[in-house]
Amino acid sequence: MTDLPPRSRGVIALLDANCTVCMICARECPDWCIHITSHTEVEQQPGSARPRSRNVLDRFAIDYGQCLYCGICVEVCPFDALHWAPEFGYPGTGSIEGDGAVAELVHERDVLATWVEKVPPPPPLDPAAEAAPETATGTGRRPGSLRGRT
Amino acid sequence: MYKAIRGDHAWEPIPGGIIGGWGSARRKLVGPQVLPSLVVTVSARPDSVVLNWGTTYRVTVLELGLACCGVEVMAALDRLPALGVTPVAGAGEAHVLVVSGTVTDAMLPAVIRSFEAMPEPRYVISVGACSNTGGPYWDSYCVTKGIDQALPVHVAVPGCPPRPEALLEGLKALHGLVNA
Amino acid sequence: MTTPKTAFGQTIHHVELADWLATATAQHGNGYVMFDWLGVEDAGRPGAAGQRHAVFLHVIDPRTREGVMLRTEIGETDALPSVAHLWKGARWHEREAAEMFGIAVGSEPEHLLLPDSFEGHPLRKDFVLASRVVRPWPGALEPGEDNTSAPSRRRTAPPGVPDPSWGPRREEENQ
Repeated sequence: MTDLPPRSRGVIALLDANCTVCMICARECPDWCIHITSHTEVEQQPGSARPRSRNVLDRFAIDYGQCLYCGICVEVCPFDALHWAPEFGYPGTGSIEGDGAVAELVHERDVLATWVEKVPPPPPLDPAAEAAPETATGTGRRPGSLRGRT
Repeated sequence: MYKAIRGDHAWEPIPGGIIGGWGSARRKLVGPQVLPSLVVTVSARPDSVVLNWGTTYRVTVLELGLACCGVEVMAALDRLPALGVTPVAGAGEAHVLVVSGTVTDAMLPAVIRSFEAMPEPRYVISVGACSNTGGPYWDSYCVTKGIDQALPVHVAVPGCPPRPEALLEGLKALHGLVNA
Repeated sequence: MTTPKTAFGQTIHHVELADWLATATAQHGNGYVMFDWLGVEDAGRPGAAGQRHAVFLHVIDPRTREGVMLRTEIGETDALPSVAHLWKGARWHEREAAEMFGIAVGSEPEHLLLPDSFEGHPLRKDFVLASRVVRPWPGALEPGEDNTSAPSRRRTAPPGVPDPSWGPRREEENQ
């Protein structure tokens, strides 16, 4: 099998749980290929004074027949709901008369969820870089603080 | 590696060419519209056969490399000998039309004529976003928004451009469709 | 003739349309005999797209390999004098400018790159791309909104989509 680089752009996977229906990916897509439908649910959360409304995702579809694999949606999602996966073998097959091959390339929410397991773990950090402050070996101070480094 | 014959028709593949159809669009059409094609045969060696199309079925592939996707399709065709498939140059009849690249409105009649010159049974593989739906040029003034508006498409390979391996997956899908 | 401005290694002559041919001829006489390109871009002010165009001509002196750029502005009804008798290569570029921007250059322009049935000049800024009007923008929905109910506030429009008054009217709206 082909050994693909870590950030290969094969297919985009959707993490349902992270999506808050902010619509930023649908608006930024240059091809208009992300289709999102949602509705608002109002429910009373325990411990809050008034009912809270939240947006519930109904339909999230990416038209891979239109997608130009630019990655703008992945970059711009503020909640890391979209991820690249290096999988590339998903051609659309139509009938023997030639119908429906391109329509099969519209991946709905359930198909996008199946790509999530193909998402590779993020590449490891550069070992020569400074350790992140969150780790035990970090400086233990605010990120960017200069104490002890000048 | 394979010879592409440059003939009278503006849309024949030129050696190493990516964009088919440069040259004056006013060329007179001479002779029948059967174009030189790449004849792809699958050998019956059991250790290297990938796709068994049948002993009486010769799969001939005509690649219309219209734009960038044409380069990826060329890269895929380069790998077929390693899989036991021998591409052969020469004029012949194609059964599979691989439309790869942006189909502009000016190029559309040429693509349709290539399809009409193919003998039955004939199949169309659409490679890349541009020939699937118009792709990044979906709003252009001169681009056909997908070759499926004019021809029946049996397999659509997504990508911009798709990997050569993705095209081979598309061929496998076509094999599954034909043999089903 | 105006004084040329040089910046970042490039010299640009800003000329009036009436001096276009004279300046081009003078530069050709100065040794700039190699044609590089002739291009057109929209010179409209904000809110006035597609009305004025700027024509750029870049020619090179093959002995010193220096280039000079000529720039002029042309309005809707002006005709651009052709410089094809000085540089033959300019003929194709002028034909392309005539076809894509609607700049009148000498003879009646025939279609160079566009199909014969094409109408309009597509590279003008006021040329509306019909696909952007016809195709619904997925980002028009607000979060929490589905396609069924009416929008609660005016929907935002993506770039390139004109206001609803553009386009052919239906018959029943003409009452």
